[in-house]
Order: sequence, then structure tokens, then C-alpha cells
Amino acid sequence: MTHLWDRLAEAKSRLAPVQSKYRVLFEDPTQPDAPAAVLVPDPNWMAAALAGGVLPPIDTYLRDRDVPDGQPKEHPYAEPIGAMTEEEAIEYLIKKDIPPQVWRDYQGNRSVLKIVPVELIPTDRSFRNAWKINQTEMEMAA
Amino acid sequence: MSTLSVSNITDGTDTVETGYVVNGSAKAWVNWNGTGTVAIRDSFSVSSITDSGTGQYDPNFSSSFDNTNYVGSGAFAWGSNGNQMIALPDTVSKGRADTLAGNAYVDHVTIGVLYVGDLA
Repeated sequence: MTHLWDRLAEAKSRLAPVQSKYRVLFEDPTQPDAPAAVLVPDPNWMAAALAGGVLPPIDTYLRDRDVPDGQPKEHPYAEPIGAMTEEEAIEYLIKKDIPPQVWRDYQGNRSVLKIVPVELIPTDRSFRNAWKINQTEMEMAA
Repeated sequence: MSTLSVSNITDGTDTVETGYVVNGSAKAWVNWNGTGTVAIRDSFSVSSITDSGTGQYDPNFSSSFDNTNYVGSGAFAWGSNGNQMIALPDTVSKGRADTLAGNAYVDHVTIGVLYVGDLA
């Protein structure tokens, strides 16, 4: 099995990038004073996810979090998974790139994670450091 | 994919070890628009960036580094003196990329960062 980095290089050479129509808003419960964060999917990664045969199973990334630095990791040489839909790719990305205290361990009542169409992200960043996830179904998501 | 396994590369005059090339290559890089709706223009081995606030971004790597001793470097354009880019390792799977003018975080239309080190 070739290394993930080599598979990504090969995929980038043949796949057109895909800009996602989604963003993921989240608030880390361990940092209550921090503004809402916005996860921006990468277009080359999304192209690889939609094509299949490049990315490893998400479980390998999750297991590798417990592997000490400098020790062999599972995800670079894991057997690639097949094609995903864009929605499945976003769920994969949430597990991979957002801390588990947001998507797995949080038990509070506030919404701390929302998948939203990109149009619902405000384009005016004047008050970016005051963004919080709207707790009602309003026009804007943050 | 076929693999060419060689120890050295030469142009007939100069010779360099392939390890020199592999170790010195950027393992991840990304160029993005930090204004309006933040969007990535192009990249390699980056799965996403986390927009954590004005001028504060975290590139997430597709292929993790072996340890947090890797190195980051980046740049952005800003119309005054005193701008600085902070590109540092955070974890093996996530870097830091902050853009400041003076002591204040700022957004900019073109931000680029790359990371060099040993992959897992």
C-alpha cells in the first residue's frame, strides 16, 4: 500500500478541486469565551473524498490520536475507502478535524455544532471575534 | 502508481541524494482567502482549515506529521510595516497560522503557509 501522501499527490494530479457547499460551525465547550469556529473544507480533499480510493477509514485517524508522537501511525498505510457523498465527507471531516468534546462528548443543551450552507456564513467579518452559534432558526447561522 | 527507487538524482554535473529532496519538500501547504467567506484556493495534504477568529486559522493535515518538531512558514500581504505571520506546529495533525499587523490580528485576502518535516 502506498503512503497516503503519495495517494494525495496522485489524486491532485487527476481530480478537479470541488468547493464544498457546506461549512461547519462549532463552539468548543472547553473554551466558553472563544468565538464560534468555522471549519472550511479543502477543495482538493473534497475531490479525493468524492472520488474514493484515496482517503483512509476515519477510524484509523481516531485510533492514531492515542498513539504517542514519533510512534508508527495507522492512517498513512491503511486501505483506502470508497467514494463518499458530500454529506458523508462532511461527517468524516467533523470527526477528523473537530475536537471530540464538540461532536462526541458534549452533553449540554446549547447547540455547539451546525452544518450549514456556505451562504449562511456572514461575509462581514467586522465582529468576527463575537460570533456565536445562533440558538434559534434565524436567517443567519452565526 | 509506479515507484522509482533511487538513492541519488543527477543532471550529469550535480548530484543530490533523494533523501535530501524528500526531507526538504513541503509536506503540506495551503493558500486561502481570509476575508468575506473564508475559502481555500489551493493546497496539498490539507483536509480543512479552522477559522477560529480574526486572523487566526488552523490548517488540518490529511497526512499527519511524525512529531511536533516540524516547521511552518507563511506570508500575507498587508499595506503597512509591522505585519507578521505566525506559522507553528500545534499537534501532529494541525498547524497554526496567525496573521497580525502590529499586535492586532487581521484578515487578509491572500494568506499562504507551508509546513516541512517528517511524516508519520
